[in-house]
Amino acid sequence: MGELLQVETAQEALKNQEYTQALVDLLFQLADDDFILAYRGSEWLGLAPHIEEDVAFSSMAQDMMGHAVMYYEMLEELGVGKADDLAQLREASAFRNAILVERQNGAGGYNDDPHYDWAYAIVRSYVYGLHKKVRLESLLKSSYSPLTLISRKMLTEHRYHLMHWQVWLKQLANSTPDARARLEAAIAKVWSDAGELSDLGPNAASITGFGLIEAEATLREVWLKETQAIFEAANLSWPGEPGAAKERGRAGEHTADLIQALATLSEVYRIDPAASW
Amino acid sequence: MNTQLEHSDLTEDAKMEAFLAKIDRGEKIEADDWMPDDYRNQLIKLISMHGISEIMGALPEKEWVPKAPTLRRKLAIMAKVQDEMGHGQLLLRVAEDLIAPLGKTREDIMQDLFAGRLKFHNVFHMEAPTWADAGVIGWLVDGAAIITQSMSLDTSYAPYARALHRICAEEKFHAQHGESIVLELAEGTEEQRQMLQESITRWWPSLLMFFGPPENGNITSNQASNMRYKIRSQTNEELRQIFLKKYLPRIFHLGFTVPDETIYFDEAEDKWIYQQPDWEEFKQIVKGKGPRSAHRLHLREMSYEETKWVRDAILSYGRQVG
Amino acid sequence: MSNQTNNENFVIYEVFSQKTVSASFVHQFSLLAPNAEVALSMARENFLRREPCFNLWVVKRDDIHGLPPEERPFLERLDNKSYRETKGYGDLQGRWRRHKDEYEAQHNTKSGS
Repeated sequence: MGELLQVETAQEALKNQEYTQALVDLLFQLADDDFILAYRGSEWLGLAPHIEEDVAFSSMAQDMMGHAVMYYEMLEELGVGKADDLAQLREASAFRNAILVERQNGAGGYNDDPHYDWAYAIVRSYVYGLHKKVRLESLLKSSYSPLTLISRKMLTEHRYHLMHWQVWLKQLANSTPDARARLEAAIAKVWSDAGELSDLGPNAASITGFGLIEAEATLREVWLKETQAIFEAANLSWPGEPGAAKERGRAGEHTADLIQALATLSEVYRIDPAASW
Repeated sequence: MNTQLEHSDLTEDAKMEAFLAKIDRGEKIEADDWMPDDYRNQLIKLISMHGISEIMGALPEKEWVPKAPTLRRKLAIMAKVQDEMGHGQLLLRVAEDLIAPLGKTREDIMQDLFAGRLKFHNVFHMEAPTWADAGVIGWLVDGAAIITQSMSLDTSYAPYARALHRICAEEKFHAQHGESIVLELAEGTEEQRQMLQESITRWWPSLLMFFGPPENGNITSNQASNMRYKIRSQTNEELRQIFLKKYLPRIFHLGFTVPDETIYFDEAEDKWIYQQPDWEEFKQIVKGKGPRSAHRLHLREMSYEETKWVRDAILSYGRQVG
Repeated sequence: MSNQTNNENFVIYEVFSQKTVSASFVHQFSLLAPNAEVALSMARENFLRREPCFNLWVVKRDDIHGLPPEERPFLERLDNKSYRETKGYGDLQGRWRRHKDEYEAQHNTKSGS
């Protein structure tokens, strides 16, 4: 396939139907991952362990949602639909996020008895964030120029987030036995889903064939290597090969957690999607 | 820096006299300046209530954060509620420095809240059942807050003034955020307009109560000393009238009503004549008997207790590796 | 100013920031944190959500040494130091102009200004 292809604009991409399909498939993965995890982050507002951290944590969720918006707008430019509709009106089966990001923060709703797990929040954000960094760095070499451009912008902001998660991971790992136990439990939970992050979905061959992003195996290898080094620096034992949920989010298979999340985040918009909000 | 609670050989009376003279000259008091216990206690009461109200005030709007109807609104309301938490942070820091000489910390403030000893603003005990409430809170509740906070910008307690300057700068964005939601609904469909009207009707008594009972010429001793200390400069009723003058015409311009059939503006008196809300109900609400008081306190307390292990962990971090 | 030196509590950190590389550090506000690293990781979002920030410092409040209230008034100065300031040299421009005017009158020329 078109190894030498470099596509500068949406109009140019649209001339090749197969290329457009591969690009759209990838953009949905990128957008939905950030969007759903940012949504989970927004549920934490007001509930974080410390007031100053509540404020800081919210910025991470905002930035991440800001990134999702940039991806949805790229899809809008490709004629897939209005960004707000794409985010809020699709059925769960149309979402391409990994299962890891849709899992609830803990038992209970964000407004009723939220028994949220801070250790899970930290580990999930960090493990996801490390993978996102590898993905963004790969996108710097993407055949779709608009994607390389926004990846460069996102990376700056994203590195700041990684710094934040790194402090938390290190400090929790080297504190009380209780915190250590909770952190290890959270790692086990995150790790059982994390393997799906570098899955590029059913259309992976086309996505990598068109040079939109590097191969799954490459992304995975770099990500695991970097993550292992960070775990070791934090005195955490390496959990080995990551697993994957039985549902494949990249193929539109999702858990009840996503269905609940979508119902909540689109509740107002669905009253009247034609109205201006 | 070390606290200098008492200065040298002056008698209490002389210190008090010097303190009041300083206030009269329009000078500001800093955290480590000598201050009468009464001044400190008034400040602690005022600022810890203000701070904890910001923290509790994040909760009704937070209900709408994940549900906000567009991507832009989701981002904006997240930022807004984040700011409220940030304002709580600023104010609690000011309160914490005031209670430090009494051997107390933020932990005591939180425990006072959970035990019902520390009150928070009446508006944050109320329900926010629709998206329009997110708009009305931003527009009118924040609008009311801007009025009281602007009055206090010139407060005699310098650390409070510095926090308020930061807060007021951001409140302008909050008011715009609220106005933007409200105007969108007001210019929208019948259903959207109805949602907004219901919200204005629902919030009306709470908005009147926001400033506290009218004095009717009887200034309480608390108010009197706050004015003497230049902690505040206007009465409840004066503030409420500023609010009514600013916002009632706007409510009417959008074609909405308030649930007060006899309300009118008295030109000669230069004030709005309105029906009093139920001030007995106000007392009950602030005591923690409002429709959402228990729920929100539970949410705050539960999240605080369940994350105690995190605070313990990072406190112990230095010692483990040390 | 704090009594919070025991290990059971978070401590107060004062936050300073620099807007650009050529700007000086400015005090922002204070926050509570268990250690400097956590303080630093929260500082920007708490006080600089909208302003640009080039660099940050956090300093334990207990490590800051300042003047006690009764000594602060000693910082006041007499207003008799105009020789240190530009306003003490307000006559210079007029004198230069006079020299120029005299020169031009003598030589009956207009030199570049």
